[in-house]
Amino acid sequence: MADVTFDAVSFRYAASTTDVLNGVSLDFRAGEITWLFGPLGAGCTTVLLVAAGLAPRHTGGTLVGAVSLLGRDPQTTDSAGAGQIGFVTATPELQLSGIAATVWEEVAFTPANLGWPIERIRSATDRALRLLGVEHLAHREPRTLSGGELQRTVIASMAVLQPRVWLLDEPASSLDQSGRVRTYQLFRAEADAGATVILASEDADALATVADRVVVLNEGRPVLDGAPGVVLAGEPIWDRGPGSTSVAGLARAAGKLVASPLLAAPYPITVAEGIARWR
Amino acid sequence: MTAPGAPSPGLARRAHPLTGLSAAIAVTALAFLVPTPWGPLILYGGCVVLVAICGVGRAIRQGVIVCLPLWIFLFLLHGLLGGGPTRSLGPLTLSADGTMAALVQAGRFGAIITASLGFYHAFDPSRFLNAVAARGWPMHFSYLFVATLHALPAFLDRAGASIEAQRTRGLRYRGGVLARARAVVPLALPLILGALAEVDERAHALEMRAVAVGGKRTPLDPPADTLADRTIRWSLLFLVLLALVGRLTSWPM
Repeated sequence: MADVTFDAVSFRYAASTTDVLNGVSLDFRAGEITWLFGPLGAGCTTVLLVAAGLAPRHTGGTLVGAVSLLGRDPQTTDSAGAGQIGFVTATPELQLSGIAATVWEEVAFTPANLGWPIERIRSATDRALRLLGVEHLAHREPRTLSGGELQRTVIASMAVLQPRVWLLDEPASSLDQSGRVRTYQLFRAEADAGATVILASEDADALATVADRVVVLNEGRPVLDGAPGVVLAGEPIWDRGPGSTSVAGLARAAGKLVASPLLAAPYPITVAEGIARWR
Repeated sequence: MTAPGAPSPGLARRAHPLTGLSAAIAVTALAFLVPTPWGPLILYGGCVVLVAICGVGRAIRQGVIVCLPLWIFLFLLHGLLGGGPTRSLGPLTLSADGTMAALVQAGRFGAIITASLGFYHAFDPSRFLNAVAARGWPMHFSYLFVATLHALPAFLDRAGASIEAQRTRGLRYRGGVLARARAVVPLALPLILGALAEVDERAHALEMRAVAVGGKRTPLDPPADTLADRTIRWSLLFLVLLALVGRLTSWPM
């Protein structure tokens, strides 16, 4: 069942003369990680803003078509998704509440606003801190955190809600390799538990093995849609999309130098696949 | 400037957050209600003693720094240019009424600024929000209030970084008035534009974090509201009402 649906959605920002989204029709299903992948300006971030109901309500602009979030139009009421959506952007410093004295309070901020009982807040906050591996930062002031610590804190402040829908825009941009792995594992576990995860990212190498589905956007339109193992391995993503993983790029570049069936599409997309083919 | 929430041991820090706020508001009201000419000066003196006792004495020095240009201006405006009988003070001829008017205004500003700075230094955003939430008051106003106070140190940090960045790119911002004036635009513009560019994203984040949701916020760790706190707040209210009645009936303006 789809938790988020786009039906012929077009969107144009107020200051723009062209549509950022052009007749986008997509279903985002529960239990799946859908990865939005595209070059700069392709419309990935805008899909997330529209899904959350923030565009055009906050951003201004014109929306055509129908959007449904958990069976509702996200444009109709303020804060319709608060408590049910985990929304994370690439700039964690702008997602802080601005008033919490400690990381623990930062994570507990939204449940407190929603009026949860204090015992539920305590257990959910402790759980979210553990999940993101930041329990040792619980008493630190958010302003003193490093970029990676801050990003994990912000994700924890959404994980505390156990949201039904995750809308993620480059959620691991400030994290190191181990932090990225841990974070993507969290989203994998959330999807396996029944959440809908929509994730916009350029991190092809990591997401190739994490996402269930990749939607490649270009100039506001989905141009490719399928399993990452198929979409990323093919040639069309190089012509119509932003390219693929490093391993696929290497195989493709080598194939231009040496004509060999070992270097032809479909390309290997992970190191393991590359080793298996070229051994 | 120290961030609100920075350690500031003393009575002010231990008191209920609404007591400090009540005191700052009461001083502001009293500054304009107490009888002149000596009321505002006594009030200022009282504020100085009070913030020192309460452990936020740095508010006194900062208050003087903030008020000094204003005091000089008031003295020049009223003392030298005022009418009525005059008195000689060395080479200066001062208007007696003007000097007294300047002292009254100086006392008012001194009291208000010192009390406000004392409140600022004792302010703990988290305790304040918890206190407001514990009373079941709406969150919107208190959030705006707290976030603004909390944002100030961060904004100053960023201003410092902006100055350093522009300096490494060759901007000269020290020297004469002209050089400083020329430096204002390249220093202020990135700061202001940067802050404006962030507004949308901050608004998105806050909406997703249920700031706009109505209803009662759960206090995470509500501060104790002691009998002493409540007595002080009621006494302040009584004092303000008494001063108001006095002002409306007989006290000189």
